[in-house]
Amino acid sequence: MTDDKDMFICRCEEVTLREIEQAIDEGFVTVKDVKRVTRAGMGLCQGRTCSKTIARIIAQRTGRPLEDVLPKSYRFPVRPEKMLAVENEEFNDAKNS
Amino acid sequence: MTNSADVLVIGGGIIGLSCGYYLSKRGKRAFVLDKGGFADGASGACDDMILFQSKKPGINLELTFESLELYKSLLTEMEDDLGFANLGGMVLIENQQELEIMEEFVAQQRSYGLDVEVIDKREMLKKQPFLSDHIIASTYSKMDSQVDPFSVMRGFERKGALYGMKVFRRNGVVGIERLGTGDFQVATEDGNLYQAPIIVNAGGTWAGQIGTMVGANIPITPKRGQIIVTERVPPIGETNLWSAKYLVTKLRSDVVVDLNEDERTMGLSLAFSRSSGDTYLVGSTREFVGFDKNTTIGGIRAIINQTLKYLPKLRDINFIRAMAGLRPSTPDGKMLLGEHAGIEGFYTAAGHEGDGIALAPITGKLLASIVCQDQVDHRLDELSPNRFATD
Ligand SMILES: Cc1cc2nc3c(=O)[nH]c(=O)nc-3n(C[C@H](O)[C@H](O)[C@H](O)COP(=O)(O)OP(=O)(O)OC[C@H]3O[C@@H](n4cnc5c(N)ncnc54)[C@H](O)[C@@H]3O)c2cc1C
Repeated sequence: MTDDKDMFICRCEEVTLREIEQAIDEGFVTVKDVKRVTRAGMGLCQGRTCSKTIARIIAQRTGRPLEDVLPKSYRFPVRPEKMLAVENEEFNDAKNS
Repeated sequence: MTNSADVLVIGGGIIGLSCGYYLSKRGKRAFVLDKGGFADGASGACDDMILFQSKKPGINLELTFESLELYKSLLTEMEDDLGFANLGGMVLIENQQELEIMEEFVAQQRSYGLDVEVIDKREMLKKQPFLSDHIIASTYSKMDSQVDPFSVMRGFERKGALYGMKVFRRNGVVGIERLGTGDFQVATEDGNLYQAPIIVNAGGTWAGQIGTMVGANIPITPKRGQIIVTERVPPIGETNLWSAKYLVTKLRSDVVVDLNEDERTMGLSLAFSRSSGDTYLVGSTREFVGFDKNTTIGGIRAIINQTLKYLPKLRDINFIRAMAGLRPSTPDGKMLLGEHAGIEGFYTAAGHEGDGIALAPITGKLLASIVCQDQVDHRLDELSPNRFATD
């Protein structure tokens, strides 16, 4: 039987709520730390879907305000890029902004 | 508030956590202090290889063998697969000159006990069908292995905690003082104080800054490496890959190697490995740009162009992320491991350059053995930090 704890928070990497809560309880209390220890947000969408949810779980569990936990910047590239696109120089500095 | 421990480890990258783990396993109460979050240093922005083929016969190769054995026992100790895999590796050879140099190098490594050979183009394409036609041969070793650095670090931390190890993050060390009792007192950014008779400097690229706090000369400099991560893809060939070119320039300073612009200015060479997450890690550059650990468009573009030169069929694969890490590089390519003469109780374990993942377990184990004053291992003399004391 599955319960809420087995729910996937990060669908790309199939990381469950249980795994995320466990990481928080071990002292990993930033989105970046949780991501690195659980792989949540490391998949194809690079956390665009789950980063905010993870921030909310951290805020709830640690009692810190959500604004303090929300990630401030996204890593480049902000979306998947074909290798070919880069080779052809379609890819330019504007994408970094 | 003051916290007392037997040992303060400064720096909680893979090396500091390994030191903390093996020290606490030996009964020492170890605190690990890090200025950043989990894996904020090089250990969180690197490839994942336990690589034998890049090493000249000598201490680094010898320690890699020992480290691999330790990794195998850590798999049981940590009850985790640690992302360990043994895919083997191939070094790609592009011309006759490289072939001759690599043949000679492989012969040296074999006489040292490494299971490695040069294979012809047909054999090579059997293992790696997507390689570009211009590659004339390759080496092959089934020894080359890999681990997931994040899993290893978390493993050290989890199991270390059972032996009493504690990790304090976002707690950068800003000063070290010697107290009247002979103990060290360490102050961190947010005003916390920690005391212990022993300090282990595992500051990676930043180890020199920590050395300065006690007057130790540690000539470690940052060598930036950029890499990209692909989307999840099915296996591309059987093995991991490197290009011979960079190795050749390191092995033979007397020969002129024809380098392109990116290879010359960014120290670009191919490293291609399948990660435990079924993505590929593809790199990398070797740049001297101080402590700047940003990725650059130029670097990413250079890596992609290079990848497509060796593996043209990868054009339709997406890359999802780029990252950069600072390799802690030393003048002679060897780590610093041991106590500093004249600064009793101050040890350094840093300077692993491109081998810190491979060498993490053996470094922690040897450091613990030095601190616990086991029988002196004279092999380690050449790693002593005192070789740089008079610089
Ligand atoms: C692109 C790239 C690819 C690589 N590929 C491989 C590979 O395939 N195989 C391999 O074996 N190695 C590889 N490496 C090398 C490997 O990443 C490093 O050798 C290793 O991570 C070094 O570990 P470390 O713990 O010494 O350093 P780091 O991980 O950098 O840790 C040092 C820590 O010290 C902390 N620190 C610094 N100053 C202070 C202070 N004042 N107070 C408190 N804390 C402080 C930092 O926050 C940091 O966490 C690669 C490196 C790069 C960049």
